[in-house]
Amino acid sequence: MTTPTTTDPVRSKKHTSPTSPSRPTGPDDTALAWARARAGGPLRVPAGTPAPAGMLRLPEPSGDVAWLVPQVPETADTRVLAELGLAGPLLEQPNDTARLLAAVLRCCWEDPLAVIWPGTSAGSAAVLAVFGELTGPRDEMAHRRSAVAALRRLDQAGWLLWDETGDTIRLGPRVALWSGSELTTLRQLWRSMPEPASLPGSAS
Amino acid sequence: MVDDGRVQDVQGGLDDLAGEAAVLRVYRQAFAVLAREAEKMILSPQLLDVDEAILSAFAASGSDGLTEEQVRNACRAFPEATVSRRFEVLKGYGAVSKVFERPNERFYRAAFAPYIMLLFLRRIAERGGQSELHQLLSMEHESVSAPAATDADGRASVERLTQVFRLIANELSIMSLGADVAQLRENAQLLWGNEALISRAERVHATVLERWPALDRECQWMRAALAAYRDAIDAAAGRLIERAGTTRALGLLPAEEWRSFARTADTARLGAVLDTFVFDAPAPWFDPQVMTEAVETGGRPDTARMPPPRPAGDADAAGEPEAAAAVDQDGIRSAVEELLATREFIKIEDVLRVAPDWASARRVLAQLTAAHLDPALPYTLTWDEGLDVAESASPAWVTPGRLTRDQEAS
Repeated sequence: MTTPTTTDPVRSKKHTSPTSPSRPTGPDDTALAWARARAGGPLRVPAGTPAPAGMLRLPEPSGDVAWLVPQVPETADTRVLAELGLAGPLLEQPNDTARLLAAVLRCCWEDPLAVIWPGTSAGSAAVLAVFGELTGPRDEMAHRRSAVAALRRLDQAGWLLWDETGDTIRLGPRVALWSGSELTTLRQLWRSMPEPASLPGSAS
Repeated sequence: MVDDGRVQDVQGGLDDLAGEAAVLRVYRQAFAVLAREAEKMILSPQLLDVDEAILSAFAASGSDGLTEEQVRNACRAFPEATVSRRFEVLKGYGAVSKVFERPNERFYRAAFAPYIMLLFLRRIAERGGQSELHQLLSMEHESVSAPAATDADGRASVERLTQVFRLIANELSIMSLGADVAQLRENAQLLWGNEALISRAERVHATVLERWPALDRECQWMRAALAAYRDAIDAAAGRLIERAGTTRALGLLPAEEWRSFARTADTARLGAVLDTFVFDAPAPWFDPQVMTEAVETGGRPDTARMPPPRPAGDADAAGEPEAAAAVDQDGIRSAVEELLATREFIKIEDVLRVAPDWASARRVLAQLTAAHLDPALPYTLTWDEGLDVAESASPAWVTPGRLTRDQEAS
């Protein structure tokens, strides 16, 4: 797996998109953007692109690109699946993946009172150190293997951005979908986790 | 089919009596399949299967009819006592009768009415009688629209429909008042939600009222029955919806309703149904609550899985196969040592050819292979290329190889 911009066909097509930044978004563009997001997750678009209806526009800190994240109303999101008794998308190793996301949250969300997006980037060593604290003592190889697997899963789903060559990790655009009450829960979780700087081996 | 014997009141007297007798006969035949014994109703659906088997045996028999023994033979999948009891019941109701009415007649024939009744019963059991009701309404409409129809036909038709709708409305409103919601949902689906039913009945009503204005009293009764049915539907629906709350209980409407909606609605309307059903991209969603739980259960070393406690008796059972394996190991070791004696290796082909017959050669080979495969035993079996053929020898062909005793282990 390489960087997300080259693996994801939807994201990689961003510059060939016929949508011109100046034109207001029509219904066709909206439908197209939703279909793309449905197939490939959050979309990476040039910074000036207006957000189609129902999508959240998240500018990158660098300023030249932005993310479009589909934001469905609360009455239509994944909670409905649970209400209907349907299974959501299958996630392998759900507990380890959730723990790794928590670790990334601890490392990349510097001030939990600030907005969660875009956060800062963290070295993978720090994330792995926090992850190791969360999972408990484990064989070094097993630890690394499960961490990398979880990183890939989360990167693919847009929950985090993993720059594999630069060895840095950031929160992905999907984290902006957490609601206010959910963020409160996450703040509590954030405080319960150890600070990466205090851990041995976290220096990247 | 009960209507077939409708009393013709053109001629009185004996004709009337004959007509009534005919109605009674068909009625008794039709209900024979419901009777367990004379004057009693059937209670278990298995008996209906027996009846069906008996009637299909008659259907297959041709014009000669069947003897009772032949019927029993044809229905041998069922207990014989049950079959002959059912046969007696069918005979008692006239559903099965002698081919010729004479003493010592052995051949019987079956009437068709009971089988049609069975078909109706099965369909009603499956679909709750709704499609029968639709068919009945179509038939009634046809009969009152026929040019030859008289006002008596119209009156009978309207009276029948009034009764049908009164019965349904009563059942439904009693259920919507008293029954629990689960029961209501189960039964109500088959009874309610039929705008089509009501509008068909209204069409019959309109036809009758237009052709025979004198029947306005009967038509009024029918209007009242229809209104009662509609009220009962509303009450039941109201109770169900109130209990269903905000959950998307798709079972609230009968499946036919969804199916016909899917067929008849235009694209925009069909799409509007799913307006609130757009899901996020097919990626996993992380609920913070779930994340917190995962983190909390993570770091604890004591969450490592412990083997479940075993009952004390299990220890013996677990020990036994191990002991057996050890004995086996010793047996193999001694057998191989016997073959090896003081040598460090032996040739397979020599050992096998020395064996007195094929069976013992096979046993030796099995022991050598077992010795090689057992990691606890210090023997290695290596096979060479090729095939050693000897026409007169006991195993006619042998692949050469050697069994070596491992130095470091011995």
